[in-house]
Amino acid sequence: MPYQMKRNSYSWAILALLCGQFASLAKMTPEQTAKLPTPALHSVNFSSEIKPILEASCMKCHGRGKSKGGFSIETRETFLKGGDTGAAIVSGRSEESLMIELVMGFDPDSVMPKKGSKLKPEQIALLRAWIDQGAKWDGGVTFGKLPPQNLQPANPALPAGADAFVSRNSIDMILEGHFAKHGLKPGEPVDDRVFARRVYLDAIGMLPTPDELAGFLSDPATDKRNLLVRRLLADNQRYAEHWLTFWNDLLRNDYKGTGYIDNGRKQITGWLYEALATNMRYDRFVRELIDPNSESEGFAKGILWRGTVNASQTPPIQAAQNISQVFMGVNLKCASCHDSFINDWTLADAYGLANIYADEPLEMVHCDKPTGLKAVSQFIYPELGGIDGNLPKAERTRRLAEIMTQRQNARLTRTVVNRLWARFMGRGLVEPVDDMERPAWSPELLDWLATDLTENRYNLKKTIERILTSQAYQLAATPATEQGKDYVFRGPLVRRLSAEQYLDALSSITGVWQAKPEAQVDFLAGTPGALTRFAVPVRWVWNSQNAAEKAEPATVYFRKAISLAEMPASALIVVSCDNSYVLHINGKEAGSGRDHTKPNLIDIRKHLVKGTNVIAIAAVNDLAAPDKKESPQTSPAGLICYARIRTEPAGARPSLEVLDFASNASWRWSTNKMDNWTKADFDASSWPNALELGDSDAAPWKLGKKFAQVLSGAARQGLTRASLVSADSLMLALGRPNREQVMTTRATIATTLQALELTNGQTLAEDLKKGAETLLQSAAKSTDDLVGLTYTRALSRSPTPGEARLGAELVGTPAMREGVEDLLWAVAMLPEFQLIY
Amino acid sequence: MNVQNLIHAGTGQPHGFNRRDFLKTTSAATLGALAAGYPRALLAEEAAAKIAPTADTVIVLWMGGGMAATETFDPKRYTPFEKGMKPDGMWSTFPTIDTAVDQIKITQGLERVAKVMDRGTLIRSYTAGDLGFILHSRHQYHWHTGYQPPQTVAAPHIGAAIARTLGPLNDAVPPFINIGQRFDVGEGEELKAFTTAGFLGSEHGPFNIPYPHQAADAVRPPSGMSPGRFEDRNKFYKKLLASSPVGEFGSDYQKESLLRSLDNAHRLLSSPAAKAFDLSLEPKESLAKYLPEGVDPAQAASAKQTRDGSYESQTLARFGLGCLLARRLAEVGARYIEVTTEYIPFLNWDTHEHGHEKLTNMKKQIDGAISQLVLDLEARGLLKRTLIVLASEFSRDALIEGKPDKKVKDQVPVPDTIDDIKNYGMHRHFTDAGCVLMFGGGIKGGHLHGVTNDERPFKTLKDRVIIEDLHATIFHALGISPKLAYEIEQRPFYVTRDGLGKPITSLFG
Repeated sequence: MPYQMKRNSYSWAILALLCGQFASLAKMTPEQTAKLPTPALHSVNFSSEIKPILEASCMKCHGRGKSKGGFSIETRETFLKGGDTGAAIVSGRSEESLMIELVMGFDPDSVMPKKGSKLKPEQIALLRAWIDQGAKWDGGVTFGKLPPQNLQPANPALPAGADAFVSRNSIDMILEGHFAKHGLKPGEPVDDRVFARRVYLDAIGMLPTPDELAGFLSDPATDKRNLLVRRLLADNQRYAEHWLTFWNDLLRNDYKGTGYIDNGRKQITGWLYEALATNMRYDRFVRELIDPNSESEGFAKGILWRGTVNASQTPPIQAAQNISQVFMGVNLKCASCHDSFINDWTLADAYGLANIYADEPLEMVHCDKPTGLKAVSQFIYPELGGIDGNLPKAERTRRLAEIMTQRQNARLTRTVVNRLWARFMGRGLVEPVDDMERPAWSPELLDWLATDLTENRYNLKKTIERILTSQAYQLAATPATEQGKDYVFRGPLVRRLSAEQYLDALSSITGVWQAKPEAQVDFLAGTPGALTRFAVPVRWVWNSQNAAEKAEPATVYFRKAISLAEMPASALIVVSCDNSYVLHINGKEAGSGRDHTKPNLIDIRKHLVKGTNVIAIAAVNDLAAPDKKESPQTSPAGLICYARIRTEPAGARPSLEVLDFASNASWRWSTNKMDNWTKADFDASSWPNALELGDSDAAPWKLGKKFAQVLSGAARQGLTRASLVSADSLMLALGRPNREQVMTTRATIATTLQALELTNGQTLAEDLKKGAETLLQSAAKSTDDLVGLTYTRALSRSPTPGEARLGAELVGTPAMREGVEDLLWAVAMLPEFQLIY
Repeated sequence: MNVQNLIHAGTGQPHGFNRRDFLKTTSAATLGALAAGYPRALLAEEAAAKIAPTADTVIVLWMGGGMAATETFDPKRYTPFEKGMKPDGMWSTFPTIDTAVDQIKITQGLERVAKVMDRGTLIRSYTAGDLGFILHSRHQYHWHTGYQPPQTVAAPHIGAAIARTLGPLNDAVPPFINIGQRFDVGEGEELKAFTTAGFLGSEHGPFNIPYPHQAADAVRPPSGMSPGRFEDRNKFYKKLLASSPVGEFGSDYQKESLLRSLDNAHRLLSSPAAKAFDLSLEPKESLAKYLPEGVDPAQAASAKQTRDGSYESQTLARFGLGCLLARRLAEVGARYIEVTTEYIPFLNWDTHEHGHEKLTNMKKQIDGAISQLVLDLEARGLLKRTLIVLASEFSRDALIEGKPDKKVKDQVPVPDTIDDIKNYGMHRHFTDAGCVLMFGGGIKGGHLHGVTNDERPFKTLKDRVIIEDLHATIFHALGISPKLAYEIEQRPFYVTRDGLGKPITSLFG
């Protein structure tokens, strides 16, 4: 409740008390009357003389739906009726009017207006004259609530002649009017190189690799930019990993944080990743967050600390605040304590929405003081539909989701397209992006984008595509200094890489990524066909053909020899066996498992050697569990494993050479445990080949998806992007928020603490050191190549001759690790690297 | 800025920075900050009246984990250990001792602090917030921000509010330095939630130094990089920048702010003030005065986090080194410094078990450190303008969890009788009366504020002090109004909750 209103409400209470008692005697003393400014002598005009005073000094608390002290100036009737302390005026007798007494401020504790500056004597003279002349009120003037902005659907027509330019992006046609109005002539679009860098960072959060860049630059297609945008957006995994950051900020989802300690918070990571990777329709996305399932309920649940919580921060109130902010661009934070002073939202509005999420009907609490009034369940825009407060909670949230995601609620779509626009252009059509009651600088464009999203079945990728393929997006970046009220769109603003983009960009230069994902996500989401996309075929195996139905209880010894020309960069194996197994590599036990429904992921790199290696698995088939009454003589048996072995080939690219192997008929088996059978020099050539029972999804195990998920998680090890791990000190310094609050805009100004972290922070220093080693081992052959590669990877361009010479001097010939490290550092500090132009 | 002259006139040390350059860079930085929509300061007319500051620097000595008042600075009847004693009969587990001030008594183990009591004020009536079922980190959040979590906006730490309001005292020293707390401990996430500048922006956030003996690393080139290479790297960067065709992208505040921030960082790292971070430059004999007798500071490096007594004994030096570091930083013009005994659940001041033993160790840690900090600052003429505040999130009591009239859910059972020494000095969490010590910065010497009950419950009887007023007092000493607010999401966020804090003016000399 970070607001001073508590004190004010307190003095209000006193005022109400005093005045309530003495209302009938509310006459000024003769001394006081003598001090009143003389009423103005002319005939007062309400609209030009009184209305401005009421607007400036009274309306904030007594108009626009608010009635502090029971007093509302909405209409003449409510005005004359007065408030809790009695009639505001006595028509015709200003010297007896409470209003005049209060604006005179005779009693310093009850001066009006409460906020802002006191009325000037000439203003009081006008008010007196107005009262004396009968308090005339011009017809039609009210100080009631304004109709909501940006709420109803609009059906924007494209500018005339649009049909003639079918190939043109509608955004650009709409913006023609904008440019004409400001006498601007949009410049030429940026060149392919700048466009590629910009669009890679915006669509998937990564720099283009030199190969990707070269491919794009040499593509002769005239619509190659559009094709590139589509291709990037179709990269579901990289798209999801990038947009996870944006939505984690918005939905305050994180892998660590306050609240978890007492189960007062729940992650939605798995749900969110899948929603992004499968490009879930936005209306459904919102529905599942508002009327949640067990995977998505974390957002509406909020954060609960141990102990008692202030009434304005209970979970239902948090839900109201966050839902209205994130999806509707409405700030209910002030109104959670008291009628807001910065907008028209009232305590009743905030509690109305919160009540939907409450297990028991809420009593409204005004700045820590219970009001005795019960909240009435309703959406903040009741005109969009009512909610029966008597329904059970689950029905209420379902109804709320229905109201919010109906087509009539065009605020939902306007809010999200505005957020996307702001993301790509550095500034929203409506700004601030959380205040959607404000007008857009191009209402036509906002309306069109919102309508287009609805018509495209709430497909956010389509909206993103619209924006990224527009000429507007492809204009030269403009300096970000032109913010503020005078902002005129001329093209995207220069933006700064987010913490996650920055670290991912560094990783793609050095080849050193985050160790492993902390986010528990299904990396297969959004990659149909991945189940069958193993680099080598994988099969369930056993020593009898119908083992998937039944097999004798036994231990079967499986064996496979492989040859490695060099030590792999990574080696992980996923194993599952019905019923249990022990894995040996080159004679050493490397792992075991007893639950075939949960494939194990085992790192085997340390057991491998250059040359011949033997993978030996003792696989056990047990009978049914002993608690079963009728113990069968046979039960299904099967073993499955897939080893993901990658060797980084000489010559740069982080893509690795595949040396995978998997269980299949090439394995050999025996039921006799022989000496040294797990060792490489054992001769198993006489052992029979294993029998294949089916692919990973074969019955009865149907393990396909789970098996592939574990494997896909393995594939991300060592290639993990920054969005999937918890913030470290470097990321925090670079502006990743600790997600205790909804965060819709990150600060982008560079700070000294940030620069310190970049200059002598241990995290970056170690990353660069590892990066330099990796580069030296694998990448460029000569110093010049190395400098060139660093530039191409980092800046999407070759070094100028001057840069190449400087870089080569620093790196040394032959290249020295320290030199490479320092080159990496210097390049990573360049504004050209850190900013999106 | 007279203030700065004052400070350095005291030591006769040059600052070692070029003031004109600083002005040039900061004014540009401020412009950038404005453009980025950084929070604007708001001050009501009534509050704008100038408060004459009595301090330029604040050092908060944080007794994390809940320092039991009755075992430290508010002694009650001494009740020695007797097998079978009733918990209700267990009051202070340390005898009372005299101090330099007649009417102030404290407990055994704090003899050196006792000698400097005439330089400071002791508050015994600090009352922590009513936050229900107790979570240490939540009370610490409340103490440090003045607001109870959760909040709708990220509330700034008091150090950040001061840094934002007054800026650095010496631009080559970060204005908010936080010494001694690690965040990979229990409740680390909760600690992080308030150890932040919040919505004020990370420029004003904490410069964290978890290990004081490694402080120099924080202002040195990364490990393994020689100073020469560090300088060369920077020179190379400048050359690269000059030869890069970045000009084609024009100039803007984003770019300017990047370059300026790097310059600022580099200046800090190469400034003579950076030497203040290096404890190895402190003469051995003056360093030793901050540590318990016989403790080897080198052992601090090998501190382990275990729940048995070995942890405390190995790390007895850490707080003392932190205080020494605070003194060195105050000398070069730090603005806000916090040194913590470190909060780790069930360790240090968190005396649920082995209370008496832990308290004995904690006193060893703080006794020399606090008193020497006061004496050293005094000797250097800095105490007058440096406000030292020792505080804790709440106090403790053997029986009562919460307050006598507002008990909250018990977390630890109390045995019927105290048979085992491990239960002697055991405590629950008590919020109704706790101790705060203040030295210097215009605060009275030898002054006692607040009265507590002489019998259980040891509650506050007179002159209750709440966090809003304690913060207002600190702000007042710095010349900051408690009604100062920063604008966030178009509304005012006050440095004391709702602008309600009232400085305790009777504490000022």
